[in-house]
Parts: sequence; structure tokens; C-alpha cells
Amino acid sequence: MTGPPVTEPPAGLAQEHDWQRLDPRMLLVHPVLEVVKFLPVLLGVLVAGTATGTLTWELFGLGFPVALGLLRYLTTSFRIADGRVELKRGLLNRSTLSARLDRVRTVDLSASLVHRLLGLQTLRIGTGSTSTDEDDRLDLDGLPTERALRLRGELLRAGAGHAEPSAAGPGVGTAAGPVSAPPPALTLDLGWVRYAPLTGTGAVVFAGLLGAVGQVVSSVGEVRVDTTRIESGPGLPGALLVAALGVGVLVVYVAFSVAGYLVANWGFALRREAGSWHVRRGLLTTRETSIDEERVAGVTLTEPWPLRLAGAARVSAIVTGLATASNSAALAPPAPRVVAQRVGSLVLGSAEPLVGGLVAHGPVARQRRWFRALAPALLVVGAASLAVPLLDAPGWVPLVALLALPVGVALAVDRTRSLGHAVVGDTLVARSGSLLRRREALGVEHVIGWNLRATWFQRRGGLTSLSATTAGGRQSVTVLDVPDDEAVRVASDAVPGLVEQFLADAR
Amino acid sequence: MSPLPTLRDPSEQVNPRARTLWRLETGLEGLALLATLVVGDLVWDAVDLPWWAHALIALAVVGYVAVVPQWRYLVHRWEVTETAVYTQTGWWARERRIAPMSRIQTVDYEEGALARLFGLASVTVTTASAAGALVIFGLDKQRARALVDELTLKADAVPGDAT
Repeated sequence: MTGPPVTEPPAGLAQEHDWQRLDPRMLLVHPVLEVVKFLPVLLGVLVAGTATGTLTWELFGLGFPVALGLLRYLTTSFRIADGRVELKRGLLNRSTLSARLDRVRTVDLSASLVHRLLGLQTLRIGTGSTSTDEDDRLDLDGLPTERALRLRGELLRAGAGHAEPSAAGPGVGTAAGPVSAPPPALTLDLGWVRYAPLTGTGAVVFAGLLGAVGQVVSSVGEVRVDTTRIESGPGLPGALLVAALGVGVLVVYVAFSVAGYLVANWGFALRREAGSWHVRRGLLTTRETSIDEERVAGVTLTEPWPLRLAGAARVSAIVTGLATASNSAALAPPAPRVVAQRVGSLVLGSAEPLVGGLVAHGPVARQRRWFRALAPALLVVGAASLAVPLLDAPGWVPLVALLALPVGVALAVDRTRSLGHAVVGDTLVARSGSLLRRREALGVEHVIGWNLRATWFQRRGGLTSLSATTAGGRQSVTVLDVPDDEAVRVASDAVPGLVEQFLADAR
Repeated sequence: MSPLPTLRDPSEQVNPRARTLWRLETGLEGLALLATLVVGDLVWDAVDLPWWAHALIALAVVGYVAVVPQWRYLVHRWEVTETAVYTQTGWWARERRIAPMSRIQTVDYEEGALARLFGLASVTVTTASAAGALVIFGLDKQRARALVDELTLKADAVPGDAT
């Protein structure tokens, strides 16, 4: 530590000044979680135990996880002192994690079922570190709910650099915190589950289920499907059976995606409180993410094509020091586009960037969209027509391939229509894409550089792809295929005084 | 402002020795590719290519070595002002990057194994964005060192955590 600014910690944090353990109730949580973790081993031990007829093995098998949980509790301690949060862990491999309070960017609260039964919360402190190592996370696993809430409020205030602990309301930090919460800006509408089958999450759950079924089947033994029986089955024609099977799979898929949606988003509520946005959700494990308002660099509206056809969208915040991969920046579950726009506008503080009109990119950009959509389609058609004489492909192959042409045309039209950008007040807006349409709005004070990329083709057409780099979300917002002069205009409108010095002789 | 404002190239060109370095690098890569193909053909019979395919690949490699390093040398440029760093890299796809001095987080100096033979080094300037690193390739060693010092001083002069 090279002479850290000796700032007095906010008054409320002084309480955490000494090294201390987490909540003793974790003594109940850890063993349960460890037993679950060791379940396969335990089952093995159990089987071995009954085989030998002694109980000692079983006791050992059960005692080991319990001891591990106890050890974990005893060896973990934390403190908040000298403007830092510190977390000590481990018995043989001692490690101390330490983070400066003014670098705290997000504070997440989550509670598994066991935690919730005991009234506990896990508090995760995000400092914008890009490390994905589980051990590098600053998790205070197991604080009483009330204390976790209070600590969160104080950490967020410290992170925002508000040295004075909330002069406006001393009650916010204390037990009155959750009671005096303002009404949420958004809560879950159960009607939105209709979008669940259209999201990728449903597919993931379903794939997981299929995998599990496959595992069970392969461990139980081979299931032989007698195809001759199916084809000449009693009464049921094969086609009908296949259709029934298809409907069955579809029903199961929908059921699971809806269940997945509900488990993830049950009780969803977005709140603005004490200079932060709080997102709360979850049916079994509740999760509460808090994002310091000053770290919100912008908002992204994402429309994958199934959602877009249904008039729905996702909306997430671009948060400085937080990559979207963690998904904790989502501001709403997949919801109607209007709702997503409203929430995004609320977080941005202005509706114009997400709703207002955009500047189109002109004829050359349009030509490029058409070429890039139609060329692959023509290639497919060409390859399919060559396949008939050369590879003896059946005659219907080129006919099917012809379908690529209307798809290509539709893509070209839609991608041209999507393409647009604007500088609205102090927000840079860019939109592009068709199958995955994205509208990104980034506050210009969060632009930390420009990348202008142009291939030889783009240079010939006087186009360039202008990216505003930023420290959050997908790390950059790209204005695709914009005319050269417009790119310069956008860049100098957004960040005055930066690109001007590199302009070609203005005369 | 003129009616059609466009960016000019950065003022400084990289060291001409960089062109030789790039030729050597691409040449070695091409040779490695050809050697793999020939060995695969002769020893394992893994790839069964006719002689003219080999000739075509060899021709492509020779063409690449002849054209690309020169093209790259013409494109690669850089400039440092009081308030910003401006780089231009690439060949087919040209990438220009501009970072304000106030957003610079780290300045790295690197000498590759081959680059050391030519007395060359590269300087990488990073910002808080993973999409924003600016790399200046092919600088003379002394020039690169001086540049690192200059950038460190200038970036340090601006307060804040640069995010």
C-alpha cells in the first residue's frame, strides 16, 4: 500500500472495523451445502458401508463435510477498515482479498433456499475486476439479512464517493432501510411469460433436461426403439405418432422454458434508491443487484428475432466495470418493447435516445447491406445447382436452395432499415442488425476512445465503422458503415476537442 | 469546419526496419506452412494434393510476403499530441484508434524475439475498455523508450481513474 488516503470510513462502517466472522448460522448452511456437494461420494460410501456392514464409514462420510463446513466458518473473517474491505480465507492456503471502498462498483445480494430459511444473505462486492476466478470474488457469504442490507447501502455510498454518510436520511442505513423503500419502477407482469419460449434461456433449460434424460437412459440401460413396430403398429400410423411426439416435445419445451422464466424472474422489481438502481428477482434463489447510478454508462435494447416478431425486447444497462456476460446488468426480464423502452428511458433519464428517430447511413451503406445479404444466398443457389450435375444430387435441391433468395432480400431490407445512429444531447445512439437487432445508447462522458475501422471495400465507398469504446458492457458501441465525414461529425459532436486535431487540412 | 471533414493519417511513420521484420515474419510463417504441407504429403500421406495445388499455395505465400509487409508499412502510422494518441494499423482493413490522454491507464513496452534482432519495439497504450488498446508496432528501441516516458508523464498529469 503506497500511502492510501487516510480517509475516515463512513460512520456506519466503523462497526465493521475489527476482524470478525460471518453469521454463526452459516454453521448450518455450510454442512448442508457440503453434503450436497459430496452427495455422489456419500452415496458411494453408503453403499460400501452396507456392504461391509459397519457404520463407521457412514459416520466418517457424513462427518467430513460437516467438519469442512465448520472449518470454513472458523477460517473466514472480514473487516472494513482504512477505506478497504478485506476478506481472509483458508486454513492451509491463507488468502486475503482486499478492495478499496471507493472502487466498489456493484453490490449484489443473493440468497439460496437454505439462506432464506435462516434469514441470511450472501453479499458480493464487485470492483470491476475482470478476473473470472471463483476465488477472486469478494463474497461475504452469510450475513443476517438486515445487516447485509445496511452494509450494502453503506458500501454503495462509499463507492460513489459520497464521503458524508447520507446526511439526508440517517434512517436509510439502519433497520428502516427495506421498510421505507420507494415503490418499484418495474415489477414482473405474469403475462410476460408468453415470451419465455422465445428466449434462449428456455432452450438452454430444455437442452439441459434432454442431457439429463440421456444420462439417466444410458445409465439405466439401452432403450431400444423397435422401428418395425412403430411403422406397422396396431392402428396408429407412423406419421401420426411422429406428430404426437413432436407436440409432446413442444409442450415439454414450453413448460420448461416458462418454468425457467419464472424461477429466474419471480418477484422481479427494479427500484431506484439512494443513488443506485436495485434489481431484485428469483423464485428459489433471490438475487438483488445494485448498480451505482454514476456507473451507468448507457442502456442497450436487444431484440433477437423471435422476441422482435412478438413485439418484445430485452433491456440492460451498460455499467462501467461490469461486462454483460455476468447478466447482472439486465434491467428487465424479456418484456414488451414498450416496457423495455420505458425502463431504459427511466435509467437513461431521457426517452429520446431509445425512442427517437435515427439518421440513416445513405446509399453506399444500403448497397453494402444488399451485397452482403444476397451474395451468400446466390452462392448457396449456385452451389446447389452445380451439385445436381456434379454430385448427382436430387432435382429438388436447387429448388429448396432458391428459398435462400427471398430470405436474403428480407435480411437486406431489414438490415438497411435497422441501420442508424444519432447524437441526442449527451448520448450517442447506434442501431444495427436484423436477426439480432441492437440499439445502444451510451453517455458521451463514458466514451474513452474511438476506433475507426474500414476495409478496402469500405474505404472505396467512403464508409467506416465507428466504435466508441467504453469500460462497460460489450466494451464498445459501434456505428456500422457510416460515411467518413459523418463519422468525424459524430465523434466531434460526442467528444468535442478530440478528433478535430487530426482532421485533414481544413483550409 | 470544411463541408466534408475527414481524418488525416497520423503524422509519424514506423521505422523502415519494421518492413524487413514483417517480411521475415511472414516469410517464416509461409515456410512453416509449406513445410507442414510437404511433410504431411511425403511422410504420412495425410493430405493428398496434386503438384499444382502445392505450386498455387507456394505462389500465394510468395505473393503475400511480397505485398502485405509493404502494404502494412504504408498503412502503419502514429501520432502523439498533448491531449491524445492516434494510431493507424492494418492493411486490408485499416483501423484508426484515438484515445484521449486523460483515459490512458497503462503504457506497455514490448520487444519481441525477432524484433530484438532489428532493434525494434512496440508500445501498447491501454484504456479501461477491452476494445480500446492502441498498439504502435515497429518503433526504434530508443524512440519507443522515449515515447513510453513521454506518455507516462502526460497520462499521469490528468487526475481521475480514467473510466
